[in-house]
Amino acid sequence: MSIRKSFLLVLTIVICLGALSAAAQDDEVNMTMWVRSIPFQTQALVDQWNANNDSQIELTVIPSGEFVTKMGAAIAAGEPPDIASIDLIYTPAFAAAGQLVDITEWVRQLPYVDDLTPAHMELGMYEGRNYAVPTGVDGSFIVYNIDLFEQAGLDPENPPSTWDEMLEAMRAIDALGDDIYGYWFSMACAGCNAFTFLPFIWASGGDVLSDDYSEATITTDPTVGEALAFYNTIWEEGLVPEGASIDNGSNFVSAFTGGNIGMAGMGNFAIPLFTNDHPDLNFGVFHIPGKEGGAASFGGGDVIAIASGSAHVEEAWRFIEWTMSDEAQIEIYAANGQIPVRLALEDNKYFEGDERQRTAASALRVGHTPYTTVYNDLFNDPNGPWLEMLQVAILDGDIEGALDLGQERFTQIMEG
Amino acid sequence: MLTKQPAGFNLSWTQRRKLTGLLFVMPTVAFVTVFFIIPLIMTVYMSLHDWPLFGERAYIGWENYQELSNDRQYLKSLDFTFRYTVLVTPPIFILGFILASLVRHNIRYIGIFRTIFFLPVVIGLGVSSLLWVWMLDDRIGVFNKILLDLNLVPKAQLFLGRPNTTMNVIILSVVWKTVGFTMILLLAGLQSIPDELYESAEVDGAGYFRKLFYITLPLMRRFIALALILSVIGSVLSFDQFYIMTRGGPRNSTISIVFWIFNNSFTYFKMGYGAAMSIVLLGILVALTGLQLYVLREKE
Repeated sequence: MSIRKSFLLVLTIVICLGALSAAAQDDEVNMTMWVRSIPFQTQALVDQWNANNDSQIELTVIPSGEFVTKMGAAIAAGEPPDIASIDLIYTPAFAAAGQLVDITEWVRQLPYVDDLTPAHMELGMYEGRNYAVPTGVDGSFIVYNIDLFEQAGLDPENPPSTWDEMLEAMRAIDALGDDIYGYWFSMACAGCNAFTFLPFIWASGGDVLSDDYSEATITTDPTVGEALAFYNTIWEEGLVPEGASIDNGSNFVSAFTGGNIGMAGMGNFAIPLFTNDHPDLNFGVFHIPGKEGGAASFGGGDVIAIASGSAHVEEAWRFIEWTMSDEAQIEIYAANGQIPVRLALEDNKYFEGDERQRTAASALRVGHTPYTTVYNDLFNDPNGPWLEMLQVAILDGDIEGALDLGQERFTQIMEG
Repeated sequence: MLTKQPAGFNLSWTQRRKLTGLLFVMPTVAFVTVFFIIPLIMTVYMSLHDWPLFGERAYIGWENYQELSNDRQYLKSLDFTFRYTVLVTPPIFILGFILASLVRHNIRYIGIFRTIFFLPVVIGLGVSSLLWVWMLDDRIGVFNKILLDLNLVPKAQLFLGRPNTTMNVIILSVVWKTVGFTMILLLAGLQSIPDELYESAEVDGAGYFRKLFYITLPLMRRFIALALILSVIGSVLSFDQFYIMTRGGPRNSTISIVFWIFNNSFTYFKMGYGAAMSIVLLGILVALTGLQLYVLREKE
């Protein structure tokens, strides 16, 4: 699609949306809400709200890849939705551009404010003010195939807690057969590896960005190179299928369901899929370990915010506050296998029987998310420095070269 | 023609003819204005600004254009796009010409073959790219199945895993997808040549290649020019196949110029910079097309 075509497309959409929202401005309170196409319980939330309230919310689901572009176009046209469920990594950019309503005073009054998932709260802040609260949360962890662990003589009750233990387990499982592999990663998928590989670095006490997120620490922090070497070993020893090297994420979830993969980085979003569609898959969950132990997780998902210019700011907040209530968090979230946004609610009647869901929920206690307005350029872009660095180091084995390359391109982007 | 006129609305015949002509071209003029001229002016305007997707925009003059010379990926993408164009054009042409020659004469059932050769053209490039991704897959792809069953390869190949094989399979897929269109254009050219010319050449003792170089190709000049220009423009503007089949990989080796414009505009949200690149690309295309028209002009 050429620029011109895309621009016109956006223009057309904006005009249509403008017409829609103009038509919706009746006497009673009607609010619009946008969410990207991810399997959170947003529709259920909105339905429940609409059934019990005078104010009505009209939910629009936007394809994930186009969400930010459309949001930007809608803002530029002066017709943003009242409420937006935004991929948390974009919140600093939206807040910095003055596009979100400052909700600090309301957020501070929440009785459970300190119990909300910390990564999402941090990303929802800009210059000390709150602009968003968590709504759809997910943290990364490792899933492992219990049957393969048993066949390989490993103890499924004590999953690996260091990189060496992970490698030993992978080797043992890989030895079970030609079609059986120790691990899976999607090495042509930038976002997948931000989600599942960064925590290996964090759990070892390192990071690719400095504490104040002002500069890249790829060459100065030795853990980055060590983590790359760890993954390079997995690749060199053939502990992953060869196709993993070019998987763009389409097999990120499904690879593990084949039953021939020992371990894989995953998120909670996959658990209902595993349990519903693959009841024979006997799997467990453990936190992503550091080199010598410890644990970390990438806090992913959505935060919810009110767009600047909304005519229904107070009513929108009333809805947002309700989404975090016990009623919504337990009877809509937990009942459908979604992780509650309040940490204490990981102990609930629906997760009680399933240790995996509890572990998945508790990953958010060690959850972290990079705070930068150029997150997309650094980590998510399939042509960006993050994926290129991983591929050069892990697949080509040139770790030194990859670190230099990553440091240079990260710095270039962060300096604008 | 305007047959009925309101009273007092007197136009001469010439004026009426002119008016009729104007009315006939109006839809095209309106279409071109709305969908080309206005967006083009907007693009030029945007290219002179620092234009983020959201946030403040600012006039920065020629800065976007100056930045281009420091953009390594932009130069790499230009290089890649022209390399791709040079590699993909000859196979499309030669194969298109061979196919056109094969289906030239109106014999029985020839329509079946014309249809088969043309069929890939009517499916979208996006759809065809997805189809090829599946066919090239290392686990479920048909190519690997055939190669493995014939013992031609020891294990499944990752066609989209290395820069060289990636370029080759993408060219293969694009040739398959577009050759039918070139075939149709060249077929029209072939059929416009009267059979008498060939007959008299045969009487004079001309063989196949003499007829090809002295009759067929010279008389098809216009059709060749048209097919060549459309094919080159299509290749220089290629995007879908790289976006879908490789996402620019492996190791960023297949980022075409339009892909890079897309990335800057809709991934990095540098709309102004993307607009500047688009304008430069437009200039390059105008120059390229002019050059082709000059080389293939009718010599009187």
